[in-house]
Order: sequence, then structure tokens, then C-alpha cells
Amino acid sequence: MSDTKDFDYDIAGKPDFSFLTVQIPEGETLKVEASAMATMDTNLQMKTKFKGGLSRFLTGESIFINEYTAQGGAGEIGISPGAPGDLEHIYLNNETVYLQNSAFVASSMNINVESKWQGFISGFFSGEGLFLIRCSGKGDLWFNTFGAMIEIDVNDDFVVDTGHIVGFTEGLEYDVSTVGGYKSLFFSGEGLVCRFRGQGKVWIQTKKLGAFENWVWPYRPEPKKNNN
Amino acid sequence: MNIEIVQGPGNAAAKVSLGANETITAESGSMIAMNSHLHMNTTTHSRGGAGGLLKAVKRMFAGESFFLNHYKAGQEGGDVYLSTPLPGDMMTHELNDESLIVQARSFVACGDDVDVDLGWQGFKSLLSGESMFWIHLKGTGPVILNSFGAIYPIEVDGDVLVDTGHIVAFQDTLDFSITKAGKSWLHSFMGGEGLVCRFHGTGTVWCQSHNPPSFGLQLGPMLKRRPR
Repeated sequence: MSDTKDFDYDIAGKPDFSFLTVQIPEGETLKVEASAMATMDTNLQMKTKFKGGLSRFLTGESIFINEYTAQGGAGEIGISPGAPGDLEHIYLNNETVYLQNSAFVASSMNINVESKWQGFISGFFSGEGLFLIRCSGKGDLWFNTFGAMIEIDVNDDFVVDTGHIVGFTEGLEYDVSTVGGYKSLFFSGEGLVCRFRGQGKVWIQTKKLGAFENWVWPYRPEPKKNNN
Repeated sequence: MNIEIVQGPGNAAAKVSLGANETITAESGSMIAMNSHLHMNTTTHSRGGAGGLLKAVKRMFAGESFFLNHYKAGQEGGDVYLSTPLPGDMMTHELNDESLIVQARSFVACGDDVDVDLGWQGFKSLLSGESMFWIHLKGTGPVILNSFGAIYPIEVDGDVLVDTGHIVAFQDTLDFSITKAGKSWLHSFMGGEGLVCRFHGTGTVWCQSHNPPSFGLQLGPMLKRRPR
């Protein structure tokens, strides 16, 4: 991964309300998560791609990626992910990164974006869906979190709560397990964690949507009274 | 032990760097990532406390989880990241053979030589009407607290009234009593202010900018009803 980039871009509002603006030169195309476009110049043409086929439906996340092409002049696009949080850019140089299935925001055309079956065990236990998004190739990649993002350099091994994983580089080995023994699964409140081994990077988020949802849950209104 | 609050004030997390053989005691469920060679041990009470089943049961009734997790580093030390479900800030405070009274939901972690006691009955908890409980921390070492929203200290010299829902923690050098915000009980409740805490003396009270139940009550009507 290097500091170069294909597109000029700006990320404002970090880390709590991040918002991405990308300059698209004439004739160039940007891939953007469906429904994430907030503002754009009128010379950008949008095209919805059905690429990925059925498996994208199964991720339960943004099923489609839209492609924005600048025609008859350069154009600017403002991109705002659904959840308030952080946003990062990396440049893949024929490298591969795996993202949790709601983390993809945008990429260069040369980045191949596909759903990747995680396998039953890690998929079910992670609580994050059965698929990861595999991004590979050469170009820009932007991804987002709920809450702020922390980048961790893994040198030997590192443990991350499954709900806090945003993404990780290819080459890391990982498996899902408990922090301690199975006793800890029930009593520690830590649930399941992912153990990464090898050399690479892991991105984590400081908050998780599921935990916030659990907190809101008790405030639901009482059931309707039955008058009969 | 070095504690760094990262990504505050919106979505803070605490990065705790443990030296050789150091231990941090954290609220169950608060670990989001760590070096995998740290050893986690779950107990029903703080190591420093007299503890036992009675304290664990008290903790369960306090709405806090029953268990505390202790993360211990080996010879090489290690990092552990801690966070909480609600968005907001975190702070550290160093106890030097002192006591601190903490609203239970604001407690994140403390050093090994700090005793965690949930049996503290300084407030008539039920009377506070906000189903809030309090933890008494005593000893020497660092303490990590979190808030919903921003966190700010009030240096009390004389008398100050604080809405009970906005209290994060206070030094026990202060005298305190639960009272009403207005002149009469009727006015206090009609005014929506409910109960306040009157602090008297010299010491610090830490407050949070937002009161979680107030936010929950605003979200409630927008959520789906509970099933009957």
C-alpha cells in the first residue's frame, strides 16, 4: 500500500461525520456504493451495475455499485455513507483487502469488488453476515466505519472483537474463537473474537451498530392494548 | 501502564499499553481489540476487593454486568483497546489513595490496585428515580471513565446542583444529597427536571453533556412497538 492516488479527493468531518469528495477527470469512472451519492456535478452520468450476481443479494448490504462517469468535462461527486463515522483511503498496488460487508464506499474502476463467502463457521459467529467484500487490483479504495477508525499493524498476532472488524489485508490468517475458554464466552461479555496471525494491517471501529441497537431496544413503545 | 484516549470526543476508545506483568480491570464487554498474548481472566469482583458472591450479586442488581475482566500482560507487555456502546468521550483520572464515586454506566476500567465496590449506598438509589447505580472506586492507580456526549469537570467550592442523569463521577470529599430542582416537588417534576444532586464542599464533579435516558425517550416513539 502506498500514498499515491488515482483521483484527487478530500475527506471532511473526520472522524465522526466523515464525508468524501472526489474529483473525476473527463472520461474517467468511479465506483460508488449504491445510495451513497449526496451531491454531484450535472456532467456525471450514473450507471447501475448488476455485477456480482445473486451473491450480492445475499450479503444483505448495498446490493449494487453505481458507476459515475464524467462526460464533457471533469466532475465532482460528494459521497456520504449511511452511518455516521470515519472514512479512510488506501491505494492498492495489486494488493487485496477484505472489508466487512457494509464498509465499502468507493473505488477506482480497476479495483475488482466481489463478495466472498466466509465459510459457515466464521460467518455465522461473526454476526456480520456470511460474506466479506474482497477488493483487489490497482487503484483507490475508500471505506467507512460506524464510529471512529483505528489502524493496527499486525506483526505476530492480534485479537479483535468480531463486531469491531472493518477490514484487513490479504495474507493474514484468521479464525474465530473465544477470548478465553468457553467459560469466557458466557461470563466475560466478550463474545467471539477474531484472531489474526501474520504480517499485515487490520482496521477496527471504536463503536458497533449492534451494540447501539441493543441500547435503544428497551425504549421501544409498549405493545398496543387489546380492547376486546 | 500508559493510557491514551483516541478518537475523542465523538467516538472515543481507550488504548491501554500494559508494561510487563501489568493488569487492567475492565467492565465486561468493553474490550474491542488486543494483543493475543494478553491473558484474560473473568471474575465476579475486583482483585483488590474482598469480593465474593455477594458483591457479584450486587453488581448484577446494579444493572451492571455481573463480571469484571482482568487483562494481564506477560513479560513483553501488550496493548488492549476498550470502548463502550454509546457514542461519546472518555477520560482518565489518577487516584492517589483516594475514593471516587462513579455512575455505573460510566465505568470502563481501572488499575489493579483500585478496589471496585458496587455495594455503595451513599444515595438512596431507588429514590433517585432514574434507576442509576453507583460504583465506589478506592485505592491508587488510573481509572478510565466514559460519557454519553462530551465530558466536563465542575470544580465545586460551595454548592452546585447537578441533574442526576448528567453525573459521570465525583470525588467523595464532597457532601451530597438528592433534592428537587425547583422550589416545590410539583414544580420540579412539571419542569421536567426531576431530581438533582446537591454537592457541597470542595472537590470535582465530572458531568456528561447528554443524558442517555433523555435521548432514548426521544428515539422510542420512532421505533416499532414491542410484540405483545
